[in-house]
Formats: sequence, C-alpha cells, structure tokens
Amino acid sequence: MEIRKLLFVTKFDDLGFDALQSLLVLRKAALNHVVFVNVIEREKVGMHRGLGYQKSEEIKLRETANIRFIDWAETLFEQGMEVGVYIVVGNLITQVFESARKEAADLIVVGNARKRLIDHLYSGSDVIELLRRTSVPVLVYKPLPDKIEVLDRPFERVLLPFDGSPASRRAVDYLSRLGAVINQVDVIQVANPKDLKGDTSMAVQSLRKKVRQELDDICDRLSADGLKARAHVYIGDPMVEIEKAARECQSTMIALGSSSKTEWVERWLGSIPRAIAENSDLPTLIVPPPQRL
Amino acid sequence: MGKKILVVDDDPDVRLFSVTVIEENGYIPLEAADGEQGMQIIKKEHPDLVILDVLMPKESGVRLFREIKTDAKLKKLPVIVLSGIAKRSFLRSQKALTEFGGAPVPEPEVYLEKPVEPNELADAIRSQLP
Repeated sequence: MEIRKLLFVTKFDDLGFDALQSLLVLRKAALNHVVFVNVIEREKVGMHRGLGYQKSEEIKLRETANIRFIDWAETLFEQGMEVGVYIVVGNLITQVFESARKEAADLIVVGNARKRLIDHLYSGSDVIELLRRTSVPVLVYKPLPDKIEVLDRPFERVLLPFDGSPASRRAVDYLSRLGAVINQVDVIQVANPKDLKGDTSMAVQSLRKKVRQELDDICDRLSADGLKARAHVYIGDPMVEIEKAARECQSTMIALGSSSKTEWVERWLGSIPRAIAENSDLPTLIVPPPQRL
Repeated sequence: MGKKILVVDDDPDVRLFSVTVIEENGYIPLEAADGEQGMQIIKKEHPDLVILDVLMPKESGVRLFREIKTDAKLKKLPVIVLSGIAKRSFLRSQKALTEFGGAPVPEPEVYLEKPVEPNELADAIRSQLP
C-alpha cells in the first residue's frame, strides 16, 4: 500500500508544521494529500456549572485552529498538494478514527508529548488507545528540541526490530515499499539470554548464526526492493536492547509491527511496540494488522 | 424559474450566511459540505453559479475548481471562491498542479477572502448572474 494520504493529528503544541515538513519526504512515496485534524476536547467547551455549553469558547478554539491550518495549508497548496481539514469537538480517539475512515487515510501521524513535562498535551493513554485499536499505520512523533536533525529526516535510518512473527513481517512489507524515502534499514533481533544454551562458545555462537541467517534473508529481501539494509543481533531485554540498538545505529525512527492481542492479554504480557511508541525518544512507526476492532 | 447557486463549504455557519444572502437576492441556494459532494450536486442540479470554499475535508476547493474548469461541459460555470486561503496561494496551487502535468486553468471569476460583508457577496453574485 502506498502512502498517498496522511492524517496529521495535532494540538499544535505537540506536533507543529516543522514535523509535517519533515514528512514531506513521503512525496517520493506517492504522498499528495495531507488532512489536518484538531480535536477540541469536550471538557474544554462542555457544560460548566452556571455557564452551560460554552459556544463562544468553542468558536474561539475552532478559529484559532483554523488560522493555523490556513497558514499551513497555503504552504502545501502552493507545492501542488491536496489539503483537507477537520476541526471537531469530541473524544480524540473517536474523532481520529472517524476522520481516518472518511478520508481513507494511509497513515496517521500523532504527537506524544511527555505528560510530566507539559501536562496539557495528549495523554500517553490516548496514543496507546489509538495504537491498540487502529487498522491504519500510525507514526508517533515526539518533541525533540535537542535533536532537530532527527525531526528533519525521520525516514533517513530506520530501525526495524524483527522477531519472525507475522507482525514483524508486516513491518518488513511496509518498509519495503518505501525505498524512495528510506536511506537505510537496520534490522535487529533481540535474542533471549535464556536461549544461550551450551557449555562452549561454539554452541552459543550457533544461536547468533541462526538468528543472523534469518535477518540476512530479510535484508536481502529489502535490498531487492532498493533499500540498503544491515542485520544486527542483540541479546537481552527487548525494550532495553531496542533502545540501545537505536543509539548505536544512529536511527532516526523505529518501525514495528503490532499484533492483535486482546486488551487483557496485552495487560498481562505487555506490548513492546506500544511501549516503544510511548517511551522511546524516537519517532515510532507502528504497522497494525489490517483488520481490528 | 430562479437561478440556482451552489454553496460548497464545510463550515455550516458560512453556508448559512451565504444561503441567506442568496435567498435575499432572489436566487435558489444549494448546499454541499465538501468538494466531493459539491461535484455530485453540480452534475445533478446544474447550478448557474458556485460559491466555493478552499480548505475542506475529502476534496478541497483547489481540486474541485480544477475539475470544473477542465471539464468541457462545466468550464463556463462561474465560480466565486470564498475562502480564508489567500488568492495568491490559490493561484500558486493551480500553477503548481499545471506544472505537475495538469491542464492550465483560468483564474476564478471572483475571489473573496473571508470574512465578507453580505453586500460584498451579493455584488459578486450579481456580477456573475445579471
């Protein structure tokens, strides 16, 4: 699937025009339509004791968003791009899904600011809920004031954690179609230390060899699609090792496939893609299963 | 029978404003909330004039204007663009689309930047539908 239409979900403080501009590299991968979405939370304009529904507040918030979007849209229109806009009152998740459905978006971009820093931005749980329920790939952007170069070129060096699962194969498929945009893919697999069996170094190295062979096959496949790809093996806790690999590979983005575990299973077992999306400093691309509730 | 004017705008308040001006001046209003719906109504209802917003969901006024002005049957349909988007940006967008291989399109018959006074819109309508 090509990325033709991108849904850019913003509250302005978390995701600005600089982030969008960094994504315009996707025009090489067929992007020609950006849809801005701003959701005004109900509690900001809802019933307040003695005040009722604050229509004037809603108008103020709508027009504030509209003024920003007009400015952004003019820049994009002048580049020959198609631009759309939704400024709606309601629940963030519901409205994002509704906009994505109406527009048949190929990619949703959201910001994930740290609550501890600026408490009026999206809560982490909103983003996690979005990732849990979406059937459209989601790119979670993080504010990185000290790493401007990452925001400038998010698709430059993509880290692809691979575990052989259908979810991670889906991420491989997705990236394989972005050869015109991505400079390098670093495919990593994090092996479990418990799997290091045997008394000799040869026995231990056999695990690495086996894993490496699988990763090399993935790299060959990506290379055939025009991407430069390298394989790396790490041992340890997946969360820690993925972050370590991202640093060592100087990655500008982490891409992961996500599975359709139920919420209950996920609460017990955890979800590495969603934990990375929430906690990593890097932009995180999550490729979900095609059909999800 | 009165002449029909289609208002294409996603903002219901702006549609209400335009529809009121249209009715007060003796024309018949039609409404669409986005470019896609706008084209469907154009083909079905054959309006005499279109008042077109630019920044909308699904299909923008930039694309709908281009569709109208490159369609042999519709290209003479006058269009008043009524938008917050600057005229210069609108014209540059059309130029860029032409450079990307699209057919050249003329300028809109009238370009009004929001907000407008009722008499401004009424004058623009009358200039196209004497």
